[in-house]
Amino acid sequence: MKRIRKDSLKEVLINWALDRTVIAPRRTERGECIYDTFDEAGFTLDIAKPSAPPKRSLFPQSEVIFQIEQGGYRQAVSSSPTLLFGIRPCDHKGLLQSQSFMSQDLDDPYYRAKSEKVLTVVMACPGSMSPTCFCTTTSSGPWAESGFDLQLYDDGDAFLVEIGSKRGFDLVSSSSFEEMDDAKAAEKIRAFQKAAGSRIPIISEVEDAMERLETSNKASDEVWEGFGKKCITCGGCSFVCPTCTCFTVSDRVVSVETGDRIRSWDSCLYAGFTKEASGHNPRRTSALRIKRRHEHKLLYHKDRDHHGGLCTCVGCGRCSDYCPVHIGLIEVAQAICSAKDSAGEEKRYSGGVS
Amino acid sequence: MAKTSTICPFCGCGCNFYLVTEQNKVVGVEPSPGNPVNKGMLCAKGWNSYDFINSPLRLTTPLVRKNGKLTESTWDEALDFTVRRLREIQSDSGSNSLGFLASAKVSNEENYLFMKMARAAFKTNNIDHCARL
Amino acid sequence: MAGLAATFGSGAMTNSINEMDEAELFFVIGSNTTEQHPLIGTRVINAVERGARLIVVDPRDIPLARYAHMHLRQNIGTDVAVLNGLMNIIIEEGLYDREYVETRTEGFDELKRIVSRYTPRVVEQISGIRADDLMLAAREYAGTGKAMLLYAMGITQHTTGTDNVKTCANLAMLTGHVGRPSTGVNPLRGQNNVQGACDMGGLPVVYTGYQKVGDEPVIQKFSDAWGVDDLDKAPGLTITTMMEAADRGELKALYVMGENPYLSDPDSKHIERALSNLDLLVVQDIFLSETAALADVVLPAACFAEKAGTYTNTERRVQLSCKAVDPPGSARADWEIIQDVCARAGYPMSYADPSEIMAEINRVTPSYAGITYPRLEMGYGLSWPCPNEEHPGTAYLHKDRFSKGLGTFLPCEFKPMAEPPDTEYDFILTTGRMYFQYHTGTMSRRVGILEREAPEPLVEINPEDARKLGIRDRDLVEITSRRGAVKIKAEVTARVPRKVVFSTFHFHEVPINLLTNPAHDPVSGIPEYKGCAVKIRRCA
Repeated sequence: MKRIRKDSLKEVLINWALDRTVIAPRRTERGECIYDTFDEAGFTLDIAKPSAPPKRSLFPQSEVIFQIEQGGYRQAVSSSPTLLFGIRPCDHKGLLQSQSFMSQDLDDPYYRAKSEKVLTVVMACPGSMSPTCFCTTTSSGPWAESGFDLQLYDDGDAFLVEIGSKRGFDLVSSSSFEEMDDAKAAEKIRAFQKAAGSRIPIISEVEDAMERLETSNKASDEVWEGFGKKCITCGGCSFVCPTCTCFTVSDRVVSVETGDRIRSWDSCLYAGFTKEASGHNPRRTSALRIKRRHEHKLLYHKDRDHHGGLCTCVGCGRCSDYCPVHIGLIEVAQAICSAKDSAGEEKRYSGGVS
Repeated sequence: MAKTSTICPFCGCGCNFYLVTEQNKVVGVEPSPGNPVNKGMLCAKGWNSYDFINSPLRLTTPLVRKNGKLTESTWDEALDFTVRRLREIQSDSGSNSLGFLASAKVSNEENYLFMKMARAAFKTNNIDHCARL
Repeated sequence: MAGLAATFGSGAMTNSINEMDEAELFFVIGSNTTEQHPLIGTRVINAVERGARLIVVDPRDIPLARYAHMHLRQNIGTDVAVLNGLMNIIIEEGLYDREYVETRTEGFDELKRIVSRYTPRVVEQISGIRADDLMLAAREYAGTGKAMLLYAMGITQHTTGTDNVKTCANLAMLTGHVGRPSTGVNPLRGQNNVQGACDMGGLPVVYTGYQKVGDEPVIQKFSDAWGVDDLDKAPGLTITTMMEAADRGELKALYVMGENPYLSDPDSKHIERALSNLDLLVVQDIFLSETAALADVVLPAACFAEKAGTYTNTERRVQLSCKAVDPPGSARADWEIIQDVCARAGYPMSYADPSEIMAEINRVTPSYAGITYPRLEMGYGLSWPCPNEEHPGTAYLHKDRFSKGLGTFLPCEFKPMAEPPDTEYDFILTTGRMYFQYHTGTMSRRVGILEREAPEPLVEINPEDARKLGIRDRDLVEITSRRGAVKIKAEVTARVPRKVVFSTFHFHEVPINLLTNPAHDPVSGIPEYKGCAVKIRRCA
């Protein structure tokens, strides 16, 4: 086990950034903290929960995947060595889930190329980073179990460094990383984890909502209609979600014979996401789209993933933080739990609005 | 990757987002979490606003109408022609035969300079914009 | 703008967006807030969910109306009558703020005299709003301490637009809802820098910060600052009168920066004729817009991502936008192009970057004097007036006094719309925008997802009207006004009342402004986009 003093960290990052892009917290001139390319002057450890998950490093909001040239096309797979520093365990879990999703049935070469070159340095959470954190409910924090290269645990003026991979081992070869007695470190980490875990409350409504959806076969339509009435269809819930990876593909015609095929983030809250070529839309109302989204999150993909967490939700709470009208997973779960029990009564999609 | 703070080009709310760029190309947006106007949120137009910037239909070179057709030209040619014609019309028909339409979509500094150009360089108050439309 | 300036002394949103979180009542008239100002609309929804009251006055069943405690659907173009009716009730029932009226305003007697004729019964006949509903709304608005009035182009885009605005201001003053937090008269501006374009003097009658072109000290100040001695003292032409002058051959050259009047202005045929009548049309833009396609010279400009600059949002907040990427090809920032034009015109400018231009704006504009780049870089913008570098900016206006001293009641009589329906043109066409598109579509139609979500224009028609005319949903229909005709698909929906059809101007394929009436407000010059007479039939 290793240990690094907090005041040596910047030096380490400067070194790591020599031959790769390092994405790390940055404090802007106006005091806002965002994740950005490492910048010595703006580097900060004072970022509780970043407003955006790190997914855009592996899955950019828009990306050219083919270039169409005279008489043919060329696949454009781009990647470069990247290190994600200080990502939170929930976000790390989001990356692992996306990774398995992007490789399970069909290999996604664009995602894979980037993911192979990404190193992750996870920052374990000492407790809730915001009132909407619920990683203990989804088994995705407050520390990462596996799949990371390094994981840091706050230990006063230093971080304990847990090495999770060979690549992680190579990262800590410099003399800035002090050796530490393994047994002592493990004890400290256990104590950290115990305290951290106890500080993040389980949101029982999320579990109850899953249970209800499963047993009473879907929530009452009023729940979805209530949310559908106020959704402004911004798509933000999908874009801030660490596990949402839906995309659309479009062609950018440059000239008669050349152009780009681009994939870009899409959202299941947009009507066009499910609209069929005939014009028919199986999810034609916001209510139906919100229903679909949350049934995906809480029912259809409720299985535990192979890392032991809930698929498609990592409990980061951003959909609750950044929905302009408070339609986050937490609010939806609460509404499902407080709605009248519609047990036994099967609701059909068609018709939707009753 | 770089993130640059910008203001949404659509409605008058004035939402603040970072443009995410890779090698001098805009690839996405990330709302500013701290700005009191939008607090980390955007509407559908804001979230997708990056797309038109890279459109191949963007104008990339000045055009001058020749034999009835807009034809690619140099900046020198386009600007010389513009100023020569403005000055000719001004001296033939007076400053108030010129009109200037400023823009509700460009910056304050640019609107200021445009207004200054109309008034100080071309001596007319015939300046308005499409804000009301 | 002109209306608010006459009443209060300055034309802008009086209060700020964050104050909405504390408001107890919203009175929204002529604003489809959730679709046109989504992140302001959601503030209203959230406020209602925490217990605020909401009165929506709009002919259409806009999404926000689903949250309204009262939705008053007035006949198109009857806003003055509705607002006068509210004031009639408020005065009649003694619900107005006597102390405020006595100490802060002037012209009350005249207001009282004029609105006395707008009894609930009279207003019901004009507007179609039931007298009982009007009374309930009047009592709620007058009786709530923190009541914010929001309006947008549903108020201004009428031949009586200035009257509509003045009447909104009258209502707010009468009830003391101006000059306190979470109150006010709040016009929501439609484009990201409309407020700034006005503030910067992109208007025929004023320099920056609404300093009048005819005022001697103002002329002196700008002559000194700009090193010229022959500034024109007479007001110039508005866009609407410029087009008329071009049509007559009096205006011979037009230089358009980043606008698309061919699609955005009323009566497109007339605009096309006017533009082709020019000896010189210069268009500076980021795309070859419909207007640029008619130009003699097209100058390629940088878009917002490709230059630094400030933008002033609807609540007067001036914010800095930084340069993210280089412009494509040889396109250049608008300020650089203007500087080059001026140099060739023998009026050299030498600003190294936009911050130097702002420094000059600071010097000549009292309300912007303290809004400097170093301050903007350190924060999230500053709301004017901000008279010096220590000033924190102003969240709400008219705190202890109005910009002009006392607020003046400027009562208006109801005047019907310029082109009411008749037996031949028996429908009213009203125009607006959709959520997924923006203005003439120059930008939004080049965003894949937005275009997918809203790929085509539709005209909304009430189910009863549709049935009578044999029109089914998505049928192609022809709409004709005295100025032109378009073919467009119908959307049969109860969102619109009977005898009203609604459409948008985003799509060049169906230039709806072929139909609209160029008749405009005599003061602001704003055309009556919100109502003209049309007829409609199903295409065979």
